[in-house]
Amino acid sequence: MVELLIGSIIEGIMMGFIYILMSLGLTMLYGIMHIVNFAHGEIYMLGAMGVYFLSERFKIPYFFSLLIVAVASVPFGLLIDRVIFRPIRGNWLQLLVATVGLTLILQSGSWISFGILDKAVKSPFKSVVYFWTATISTERLFAAIVGALLVILLVLLIYRTKVGRAMRAIEEDEDGARLQGVSPDTVSAINVSIGFMLAAIAGGLMAPIFVVNPGMGLPAVLMAFNVVIIGGLGSVPGCILGGLFCGLIQTVGAVFLGVELTYGLLFALLIAVLVIRPTGLLGHA
Amino acid sequence: MTGLVAVFVTLPFFLSKGWLHILIVMFFNMSYAVGLWVIMRMGYLSFGHAAYIGIGAYASSMLTTMLKVPVLLSIPISGLIAAVVAFAIGKITLRLRGIYFSITVFAFTEVVRTVWLAFDNPFGGPAGIWNIPKPSLFGFKFSSHLSFYFLTLFFFVLVFLFLRRLDKSHFGFTCLSVQTRETELLAQSIGIDTAFYKNMSFTLSCLICGLAGALYAHYFSFVSPFVFTFFLSMDLIVFIMVGGAATIIGPIIGAGSLTVVSEMALAAGYYRTLLFGILLILVIEFLPGGIVSLYHKPSKRESVGSKDERRSTPKTQ
Repeated sequence: MVELLIGSIIEGIMMGFIYILMSLGLTMLYGIMHIVNFAHGEIYMLGAMGVYFLSERFKIPYFFSLLIVAVASVPFGLLIDRVIFRPIRGNWLQLLVATVGLTLILQSGSWISFGILDKAVKSPFKSVVYFWTATISTERLFAAIVGALLVILLVLLIYRTKVGRAMRAIEEDEDGARLQGVSPDTVSAINVSIGFMLAAIAGGLMAPIFVVNPGMGLPAVLMAFNVVIIGGLGSVPGCILGGLFCGLIQTVGAVFLGVELTYGLLFALLIAVLVIRPTGLLGHA
Repeated sequence: MTGLVAVFVTLPFFLSKGWLHILIVMFFNMSYAVGLWVIMRMGYLSFGHAAYIGIGAYASSMLTTMLKVPVLLSIPISGLIAAVVAFAIGKITLRLRGIYFSITVFAFTEVVRTVWLAFDNPFGGPAGIWNIPKPSLFGFKFSSHLSFYFLTLFFFVLVFLFLRRLDKSHFGFTCLSVQTRETELLAQSIGIDTAFYKNMSFTLSCLICGLAGALYAHYFSFVSPFVFTFFLSMDLIVFIMVGGAATIIGPIIGAGSLTVVSEMALAAGYYRTLLFGILLILVIEFLPGGIVSLYHKPSKRESVGSKDERRSTPKTQ
C-alpha cells in the first residue's frame, strides 16, 4: 500500500509538472495581456500533431521534431497576435470570442487535414526507469524534467530580465508602463509567442504518452483552465501550485477512487474553489 | 412583421422536402439562438448550452419511449427538467463573472456528455436512443415534413413573441443592467436583486433551449451524445455574434442566414465548423456588432466588454 502511495505521489509530481507546462502559457497570457486564450488547447494539439507529422511522415527523429515544433510555434504566435489579437485588444469579450473562433478553425482544420483516426507517435525511449519501488515511464519523466526546466527558465525570464520587467510593468499598470516607454505591442507579441511555444512543447511532449488526434485540445484546455483557476488566473506561482496540486489529486485520487471518479473530484474541486475563493489560491483580484 | 409570417405560412406549400428540412432546422437554430441570447445579453457567455438542448431532448426521448408519455405532454415536461437543472447550476455559477462562468458551464456540458456516453442503460450510451415517436394531436400525427414545418414555425413564433414582450417589459430592462461588473454593482446599490434576475434569465434561457431540444428529438427520431457537443454550443454563439448580440433580431438573422448558407454551400461536419470559425473571426475583427449593426452602428461605448470594463476577474470583498 505504501509503495503504491509513494509511486502515485512521484507520478503525481511528474504529472504536475506536465500540467504546469500545459497551463503556463494560459496564465501568462491572461495575467499580462488579459487575453483568455480558449485556443490554448488547440495550440497544444498542433504541437502534438506537428511532432506526429514530422516524425512519422518525414522520419525526423523525435527530439528534432520537438525542437522544430517549438521553434515554429513562435512565428505562428506572432502572426495570431498581430492579425487577431492586436486589433481588438482591451475588449475581453471580443478577445474571448475570437479565441473561440480560432479554436473552431484550428480544430476543424486539423480534423479535415489529418483525418479522423487516432495517431500514435513512437516513443524515443526504449526502457523504463525504476525509482525505489515505483516504475516510471521514461516519457513522462522526460516531459516532467523539460517542464520543470522551462518553468525555471520562465521564472528567470520574468524576474531577472529586462523583458520580464517590461511584462511585469504592463501587468501592473499598462498606462504607466507606456509612459516609461514600454510598448504593449512588443510585450504582447513576446507574451503570445512564449505562451504558444510552451503549449506546443507540452503537446509535443505528450505525443508519445497519450493518443494523438485533433480532438485532444478540448480536454487539455479544460484541464489547463482547471489548473489555472485553482491556482489563480494570472499568477505564475499559482499556476505552479495549481499544477502540482491537480497532478497529485489526479494520481493519488486514482489510487483510491479510480480514474473516472477522479475527474468528478477535480470538477467538484473547481466548483469549490470558485465558490469559496474565486480568485484561486494565489490569484490577485 | 405580419407580412413575414404570411410569407412563411404560404411558402412551404411550394417547397420540396429538402427545403422544408432546411427551414425546419433553421427554425430550431433560431429558437436555440434566441434562447441563448436571453442570457448572453447580460454579458454571460455560455459555452455549454448544448447540454440543455440535450437534456431536453434526452428527457423527452426517455419519457416517450420508456414511459409512453404522449409527446405533446413530454415536451413541456422535458423543458421543465432542463430548466430545473439550469436553475441549480445557475445558483452556483452565476455569481462568477466572465470566463469563470463560461469555463464552468463548459465543464458541466462535458460532464453531462460523459454521463450519456457512459451509461448504456437509460441513455443508450454512444448509440443513443432511437425510434422516438412523432407528436400527435387529437389523432393527427405530425409525421410529414410539411406538418412538422408548421409545428416548428408555430413554436418559434411563440418563443419569439414571448421574448419580444419580455424584452420590452420591466423585467427585460432590468436584466440589461447586469451587463458589466460595474453596472451590476450600480444596480445592486439601488436595490435591484441582480442574482434573481440573472437566475431567472438563465433558467428561462435553458427552458427555451430544453423545449426546442425536446421538439428536435421528435423530429429526428434519434438522439445521441454526439449531437449535443461543444460544437453545437459554439454554433449558437456564432449565430448570435454574426447576427448581432444587441437585439433580439440579431440571433434570428444570424441563425437564419448561417443555417441556409451552410446548407447551400453543402458544408457539413467539420467544414461547416471551419466556415463558422472563419466567419466568427471576420465578424469580430470587422463588424463586432454583427449584421444588425449595419443598420444602426452602436457607439464604441455601447458594446459589451469594452475597455470601460477594466477587469473581468471577480473581486473579493
